[in-house]
Amino acid sequence: MNVQLESPPETAILELPSETVKLAVKNLNFFYGQKQALFDVNVGFAANAVTALIGPSGCGKSTLLRTLNRIYSLYPGQKATGQVLLDGEDVLGSRVDVASLRARVGMVFQKPTPFPMSIFDNVAYGVRLYEKLSKADLAARVEDSLRRAALWDEVKDKLRESGLSLSGGQQQRLCVARGIAVRPEVLLLDEPASALDPISTARLEETIAELKRDYTIVIVTHNMGQAARLSDHTGFMYLGKLVEFGETEQVFTNPVTTRARDYITGRFG
Amino acid sequence: MTTVAEAGGAPRAARGAALDRLFEALCFGAATLLLTALGGLVVSLAIGGWPAFERFGLSFFTSATWDPVQEIYGAAGAVTGTLVTATLALLFALPLAFGIAIFLVELCPPMLRRPIGTAVELLAGIPSIVYGMWGLFVFAPWFAKHVQMPIMMSAKPGTLWETITTGVPNGAGILSASIILAIMILPFIAATMRELLLTIPAQVRESAYGLGSTTFEVIRNVSIPYVRTGAIGAVMLGLGRALGETMAVTFIIGNAHGFPTSIFASGSTIASTIANEFAEATGEAHTSSLIALGLVLFLITFAVLALARLLIGRQAHA
Repeated sequence: MNVQLESPPETAILELPSETVKLAVKNLNFFYGQKQALFDVNVGFAANAVTALIGPSGCGKSTLLRTLNRIYSLYPGQKATGQVLLDGEDVLGSRVDVASLRARVGMVFQKPTPFPMSIFDNVAYGVRLYEKLSKADLAARVEDSLRRAALWDEVKDKLRESGLSLSGGQQQRLCVARGIAVRPEVLLLDEPASALDPISTARLEETIAELKRDYTIVIVTHNMGQAARLSDHTGFMYLGKLVEFGETEQVFTNPVTTRARDYITGRFG
Repeated sequence: MTTVAEAGGAPRAARGAALDRLFEALCFGAATLLLTALGGLVVSLAIGGWPAFERFGLSFFTSATWDPVQEIYGAAGAVTGTLVTATLALLFALPLAFGIAIFLVELCPPMLRRPIGTAVELLAGIPSIVYGMWGLFVFAPWFAKHVQMPIMMSAKPGTLWETITTGVPNGAGILSASIILAIMILPFIAATMRELLLTIPAQVRESAYGLGSTTFEVIRNVSIPYVRTGAIGAVMLGLGRALGETMAVTFIIGNAHGFPTSIFASGSTIASTIANEFAEATGEAHTSSLIALGLVLFLITFAVLALARLLIGRQAHA
């Protein structure tokens, strides 16, 4: 047995079997104006699984998430090169209809962002854009989405009240309900629990675990425990590069790269 | 042992309390001065206008006759002129203002943002007399030739359309005044709308886009509802300005008394009537009627602001 100590690799990226990959990122570089924020990122996000992205602030986790549904393209001056393949189709291509892409790849943000309308209308908002449902079907869809987001019992008697009247935790679950009501294929969560109290966080985590059955989920989080509890795969990012990616258990218990090990064991970050 | 009094505490405490009372009284005075002035204004307008109300009674409000020769005065013509021009101005200005604000905030390439924003602010700063002169010497002749004449020529005789488009083809009249007014209140509303739209958190807009909305859907379903309360206030303030605007309107409305029956007809507003006639009013009835007009304008403006408050209050509760 060769016991010679090799220096640990700079990066360690697990390549998933291509048939399980819903969303594949290839050679992705990202620029805020002149400043490059992502460097040659290659990663696959598996279908019906939760992938967590961890890493210190400013390492590019959110930026990576924002390329996946092209929300960055709202801002002139931000640009991405490389490929993001959703079921094999490059979403970064110029001929992609971004509106319908975003209907397939939903996103929930760090802070709750209810729209200035009733709870019901908040959840129905995206559905009404893309589907012509009967009143009863729409109501059923709204109820189902609110149930999945673990909010139904708290709001079922006040669906006509403004979404802004809910507490912060409820608003965030409302945003999750709104995101899943359109039945996206992929759900991107950008630190969805960072503004929530522990009870709301626990509820939201249950929701995410539940949603995994139907969706491909990518979650950015600063909470290591959350990443470890929720995810099947974990990617560790540092300074705009994906440093380590693999099965969550492996990344957390036996990280291959020095950087990931230092971060996970709390030596920096 | 030193007591508080021996240490000079008591005189200081007494002086401090007296100063505090004085300070409170001054603040109270500052706050009530404006209210007193406002009350005084209403009272003096009411007193000045009383002879007119007494002499003409209810017909002051219902009659459109304004006849300095026979000394018969009715406010209906001027009131109608005021309301019609201000409402039309608002109708013209509102969609444009929304368009400008939305363009500046949501769509404008960063390079153009500053020049257009500055132009809007400059437009808001032009004195109204300049608008009036431009309206009379430049806009009215052009308007007469290229808008009024073709419309009047094409109107079928005997139709309602013909009735409401007849007039002297000199370009001065109700519609011209409304358009000039619209240009004047446009920058004000646009600038306020822009500020309002900028208050929408980026993540709320991104959420709307994130659900697959197009830009138009985001603006219609999220941005505009988000700023609705403030927008009502902005619109009402614009309307208030249009109601009271004097110089530009005096220049271009044609200054004819009576009830305006056509969009091209010359007319008058309350403010233009007062500006035109106050210096030459000799008889008591004339002066008093003009002051009474002033009171009516004050009440209309007040009603508009009260309505704005009411609408905003209702929105805040919803």
